[in-house]
Amino acid sequence: MRSNILLSRIALGLYLVIFFTYLLGPLVIMSMTAFNSNPFPTIIPWDCFSFEWFQVLANDERILRAILNSVIIGLGTVVLSVAMGLAASLILTQIWPRWRSTYYTIIIAPILIPGVVLGISTVVFWDRLSRILGPATDGLFHNGIFLTILGQSTFIASYTMLVFVARLQRYDPGLTEAALDLGATHVQAFRKILLPFMRPAIASAAVLAFLASFENYNTTTFTFGRYPTLTIELAQKVRYGINPSISALAFIIVSLTVFGALATEAWRRGRIKAEAERNGEAVAQGRSILPGFLRGNWAAGALVLFSFVVITLFWTARVYSPDQCKAEVRAAKQAEAAKRREELLRRRAQQRMQQQMKGPDIFTPSGKPAPAEGASTGKPAGGKVPFGSVFDPGNLEGQSGTGAAPDQGSNAAPAAKPSPFGSVFDPGNLANQAGAGADGESGEAPSEKADENGGEKPAPPFGSVFDPGNLKGVGGGAGEGN
Amino acid sequence: MAGGVGVDLENLWIRFGDFVAVRDANVNINGGDFFSFLGPSGCGKTTILRAISGFLQPSEGRVLIGGNDMAGIGPNKRPTALIFQNLALFPLMKIWENITFSMEVKGASSAERRKRADELLEMIALEGQGDKLPSELSGGQKQRVAIARALCAEPDVLLLDEPLSALDLKLRQHMRTELREIQQRVGITFIYITHDQGEALTMSDNVAVMRAGVIEQIGTGHDVYDLPATPFVASFVGENNVFRGRILEVNGTEALIRTNRSGDLLAQITPAARGVLKPGDEAMMFIRPEALSLVDDAGAHEKTSLTAKVVNEEFEGNSYSVFLEGDGGKRIKMSLPNVGQDRIASKGEDLTLKYELRNAVVMPAGELAAE
Amino acid sequence: MGKTVASKAEKLSISTLLISIIPIVIIVLVLFDTLVSDGFSAASSLIVGLIILWVAVICGVLATELFSDFFRTNGRLLGSVMLGLVAFWIIVLILLPQLSMLDYSFRYNLPPSEQGGPKDVYTLANYRHLIYGAGGGEGTYNTVDLMVFLRTIIAAMAVTVADLILCYPLAYYLGQSRGSGFVRLLVVLLIIPYWINEILRAFALKIVFADGGILNAAMMKLGLIDQPIDFIRADVALYAGLGYAYILLMLFPMYNAIESLDRNQIEAARDMGASWIRIHRRIVIPHAKPGITSGMTMVFMLSAGALAAPQILGGPSSLWFTQLVYQWFNGSLNWQQGAAYAIVLLVASITIVLTFMKIFKVNMGDIGK
Ligand SMILES: Nc1ncnc2c1ncn2[C@@H]1O[C@H](COP(=O)(O)OP(=O)(O)OP(=O)(O)O)[C@@H](O)[C@H]1O
Ligand SMILES: [Mg+2]
Repeated sequence: MRSNILLSRIALGLYLVIFFTYLLGPLVIMSMTAFNSNPFPTIIPWDCFSFEWFQVLANDERILRAILNSVIIGLGTVVLSVAMGLAASLILTQIWPRWRSTYYTIIIAPILIPGVVLGISTVVFWDRLSRILGPATDGLFHNGIFLTILGQSTFIASYTMLVFVARLQRYDPGLTEAALDLGATHVQAFRKILLPFMRPAIASAAVLAFLASFENYNTTTFTFGRYPTLTIELAQKVRYGINPSISALAFIIVSLTVFGALATEAWRRGRIKAEAERNGEAVAQGRSILPGFLRGNWAAGALVLFSFVVITLFWTARVYSPDQCKAEVRAAKQAEAAKRREELLRRRAQQRMQQQMKGPDIFTPSGKPAPAEGASTGKPAGGKVPFGSVFDPGNLEGQSGTGAAPDQGSNAAPAAKPSPFGSVFDPGNLANQAGAGADGESGEAPSEKADENGGEKPAPPFGSVFDPGNLKGVGGGAGEGN
Repeated sequence: MAGGVGVDLENLWIRFGDFVAVRDANVNINGGDFFSFLGPSGCGKTTILRAISGFLQPSEGRVLIGGNDMAGIGPNKRPTALIFQNLALFPLMKIWENITFSMEVKGASSAERRKRADELLEMIALEGQGDKLPSELSGGQKQRVAIARALCAEPDVLLLDEPLSALDLKLRQHMRTELREIQQRVGITFIYITHDQGEALTMSDNVAVMRAGVIEQIGTGHDVYDLPATPFVASFVGENNVFRGRILEVNGTEALIRTNRSGDLLAQITPAARGVLKPGDEAMMFIRPEALSLVDDAGAHEKTSLTAKVVNEEFEGNSYSVFLEGDGGKRIKMSLPNVGQDRIASKGEDLTLKYELRNAVVMPAGELAAE
Repeated sequence: MGKTVASKAEKLSISTLLISIIPIVIIVLVLFDTLVSDGFSAASSLIVGLIILWVAVICGVLATELFSDFFRTNGRLLGSVMLGLVAFWIIVLILLPQLSMLDYSFRYNLPPSEQGGPKDVYTLANYRHLIYGAGGGEGTYNTVDLMVFLRTIIAAMAVTVADLILCYPLAYYLGQSRGSGFVRLLVVLLIIPYWINEILRAFALKIVFADGGILNAAMMKLGLIDQPIDFIRADVALYAGLGYAYILLMLFPMYNAIESLDRNQIEAARDMGASWIRIHRRIVIPHAKPGITSGMTMVFMLSAGALAAPQILGGPSSLWFTQLVYQWFNGSLNWQQGAAYAIVLLVASITIVLTFMKIFKVNMGDIGK
């Protein structure tokens, strides 16, 4: 019996750990990658602690403009959806019972309509309307900010409506009547009685609406026109090649969110405590060196601690320079690359000898057919024997490129041990390296490169190492993009 | 203010869909009166009040305040102030802001409002409590704040919707006298709603008794208590013993009734039924418990006395209640003052009771109030 | 609005009329446009007729039943503003856009010069394309798109079920151990990812699952594997990402529902010797049903309609149906075809949700509670 309880406690603990690792782990890792000088957002290998990605971010015009767009759109959405949500919730409390469920279904439906559908329908409708009403309306009805605000408000108003309905359930309509009875006009009664009562709900609905607008992607991606929001810019960046400056932005957003959540919770706990005190409940008045608002309020404590950490971090950023470390890492990687090159040459020599001894058969493709989309493009020319590609001049060029330009070499270095690209035997790797060396882009995973070329990924490196599909490397993947 | 403004309801009908909440109400309330509507829960009292204050439009008929037709005039333009069944104090406003809300909406300055609030707070004996929130007051204090708030609007007519129902008995009795005093001091018309007949009788100049949307009787407390117009009023207002039967003879304002169980009894015909009741009609006769007494000698008039078997007896401190077998399973109740008797009667004993003719009323049979 | 006492014609103020006129004006304009573009084709006049009938019914009902009382309780000005806002939301933002998308989906993709011309007639071609492919020919089917559609629906269901299984224990745990500081801490930890951008969450998973990502790097360092695993191509990243994106929308409604369950019920059942499984099956789950349905509906609809996660985490060989919509719309600039695909997605997912709601006997009012 006892061991049973223990067992179930362990199971519960394990489950909680797994759940929260799944939920928070990726966010923590993403935040950490912002401080790694490695140009691929990762924490293994950890190169140097650095703030350079924040620098890159701060200089990114597009991101800054996108933030501005997001804020403008967010504010517009807040105003519109709070107003519509409030009106809709007030009508819901008054509507004839026979119509209530129909009405509720209509105003709740936008939550369930896929965002892409809302985006498309908004664009289509206003385009249509502008054609009906004539060219005078053309500018407005095709304006990205206008369309995005309308598209987002369509469903965000449903969220705000739910917030208001919850609050209105505790409102006594008698209060409005009492105000009217005492001579107030309807507007006065609304402003002086209902609105103050709804204020907390309006505040939370506004925050909710702003956040929902800020992070919306599905609807906005159809409506933004010439005014990409931050989310759109982020999505573009993430789709077409990831680098740690996104992590830097992510770190900032995560920090703000953590800060907001802790602040809300601290405030909430403070209020509960104050209420308890007001109701004369005995509150343990132990002596404490902590200021009053921290006592018995873990959220406030965490808030202070968290602010401290963030401030320290940014203070460090001003005085700390990773140059020394980066130089060391670069040197180490160069050495590694050199070693690897030697090793490679040695093995090639070995291969050549083996080949001469055993004949070519064992190196022919393993019989696994290349994936369809791989086959459609980037086939190795002339059905070369796969391993033959090691003799491909391109590869050698890549190698020599790596050697010649130290910077680029270090960019390609993640390919070195521990190699995400897999075995050095993989000819695909060589091709990739050649690519990285050739166009000097900061070292992205090959898949990202392929994305840029049309959304098609190269063949899986974990497939047969001799799979011809691997050979297509950077050049591959011109298939249908999205 | 003084002199007061009268309120008249003319052929007032109020319907909710097919449901008739108020049926053809005709009431004339004099200026400066304390007028009560009395009736069981759900009979339409609040509905009438809401029609007077303007929250409901009559389906038919008119509401006149001070002789003016109120049709199309909103609640905020009527010279009435309503004290809500649940008080409806504004929870986020301080007491003094609550009280002077009617001045705030007219744009009075803060200083003026403060001054007026202090006067009113003094009147309701809550000096110095103006900066509290309603949630920080007791039930009785809230009650008084609601009254002050309504009075601050200087209405010609104050409408009160069961304002005392949430209070405990002691406080309720105290507030009754207080309300009556306030009414006499300010001299405006009070229209008061209650389902508590004691409240209606003690405070009102006039009472209207309602049942299921219909006003059954309007009159002074005495009229309603002593000369009920219908069986419903007779049984709803105060305790009453009912005797069913048929009219044998009608003699001016008196009638002889052959009751089902208690023999032939004499009673006066209630004013509303005079000239209506004829021999042979189904009738109901009512005698209050306190109007019955023991027959001390055999000389009692046989047409105003009855005999029944004692079922039970209860001692109630200031009085004894004796229950006797009555009509249709109902018991006849008799109240006798406690003047030091040990007991009145023993169970199973046959007892002869008598009453004064003027204390017995007879009327056409009808529905009784639910018990 | 409440119970109508007396509806008098005089109560219909000018503002009321204005409000009811707006949709009529719009409809008349649409009608005019339609007439100009393709004369009286049967389908178009039917649709337009239905729309007008609908507006007339709505306005009539509103005018007679709602307005007079509504304006009395809310005042002319305030009432007009409220009605105006809600009418704008329902008619201009919700209904008309959906209707015009529906209309679009039945049209050909014509260059602007030919729009409204003789070629601009209604057609089923866009829907036929989804089934038969570009040729629209007999015998061949658009297997690629159909497979994408099927896969999207089935995968979204799988994601929903996975999230349900993953969340139920936590929702139960949180809901039944109320009040403690630890539980609040967990709730705060849950809220944080809830408010972080969907794109960033996908990005975070991409960092984890990429070829050079932390998972592969860590596993290789530990010697578990010697080749990086392509989680992206294997769609592991996509499913993990979809589950990740909407997991909290499953958790919170369920948590709220379970929180309102009286603990004594569970204890009473336990006293009577019910096993844990039975307690959950007979007491907790029936009580939490609205929350569970609400969560499942949200997760399913959002996964089926997800765009960001598939774009960022999806493997090359596995498109999501929304990506096809996006492709038609933003890539090929064929709005009509995109609209048709969007309608198919909308109708399919709503049908599925309603079917399941019917099967499990939940009604719409429970959603969003
Ligand atoms: N808005 C409404 N819609 C429908 N029916 C209503 C409405 N308001 C009141 N009623 C009905 O009208 C009848 C009278 O209601 P009213 O509130 O006047 O009763 P009341 O006499 O004040 O009762 P109580 O003593 O319980 O307050 C009730 O049967 C009630 O159900
Ligand atoms: Mg009432």
